[in-house]
Amino acid sequence: MSDTLSKLNEVFRAVFDDDQLAATRQTTARDVENWDSLMHVNLVINVEKAFGIRFTSAEVAGLKNVGELVDLIEAKLPA
Amino acid sequence: MSADPLDILLGYVRREHPRSVRGIEEARAVAPERFDRLARRMLSWLAAARGEGGIEAAVDAFARYTAEVNLAQARYEADGRYQHRSFAEVYADHYSRRDRMDNYLWAVYLSNLLWAHHVEISLFFEDRFLPRLSPGARLVEIAPGHGGWGVWALACVPESRMEGYDISPSSIAIARSLAQAAGCDGRASYTEQDALDLARADGRSADAVICCFLAEHLEQPERLFGVIGHLLRPGGLAMVTAALTAAQVDHIYEFRCESELVLLCENAGLRVLQALSAAPRRTLPGARFLPRSMALLALK
Repeated sequence: MSDTLSKLNEVFRAVFDDDQLAATRQTTARDVENWDSLMHVNLVINVEKAFGIRFTSAEVAGLKNVGELVDLIEAKLPA
Repeated sequence: MSADPLDILLGYVRREHPRSVRGIEEARAVAPERFDRLARRMLSWLAAARGEGGIEAAVDAFARYTAEVNLAQARYEADGRYQHRSFAEVYADHYSRRDRMDNYLWAVYLSNLLWAHHVEISLFFEDRFLPRLSPGARLVEIAPGHGGWGVWALACVPESRMEGYDISPSSIAIARSLAQAAGCDGRASYTEQDALDLARADGRSADAVICCFLAEHLEQPERLFGVIGHLLRPGGLAMVTAALTAAQVDHIYEFRCESELVLLCENAGLRVLQALSAAPRRTLPGARFLPRSMALLALK
């Protein structure tokens, strides 16, 4: 598991209040209870805080799975 | 036999936009039978106006719009103010952009059905406003946007006629297409014009004015209420809706209390007969602002 995905899973577990949650790159909203449009934004806000980055609304709206979120985070982190 | 448009929508949402499923279930739970009836009418007009794939494209736009709205609300929670303060800023980034406006308007159209608190507003429109309109009523819709509210009134009130005014070319085109889809285009005319300029038009002749979700997009909403009062004949009705502490990229006037809207009506010579304030079923964890949509029925 990449460092980014590992850190992202900490955010997932806190946001969805599930210590057992282990998201993979293929995980989608269908796989996580309560991952609806409102909690999606709550997740995004907490990801922003955890990684020190900021998303645009188009980026937030377009995310299809955890892999896309990982890639987006890594694209925004300093090289 | 053509497919049920509601089945098309629900199936597509489940396949492509699973994050939107819960909110739509909440919207349907407000009044299931009425939701289904309202949905089939709205979606059949949408499908006729946009053609094949139109429902799916509008759902894509709705999902993006909902994400944008929720993110704007989260930024508002953090900043304590709406992103934009000036109409000019929003006009340049938003209203003047045809590519953006087309999707935006269809997304807003669907939000009147697919957000639970907007189902409540739609039912208020149907229960409180429409029964008060008489056959042959002369209606004015200020800033029709997608045109759905005014077309709904035309479809329900025999021989009624409507004039709609909007600054957006996209709005004019979409509202016309919706009126045509509903078979009401012969009784509707749409003009590209700033509704606030109607203060200089001949007034005191409209039986009813419809103005839904415009006030929060203005720097000086009191001017809008003045126009509504100007256009109505004595005894005419205003059906107005507005958003309170509800951020969107194009909201600039931050209404905080329902009483502000009541006062705007009163100052424009309108007496509020009935009002409804509705909020989403859930908000962001720890939110200090409760986003609401308010509907007012007022008499001149």
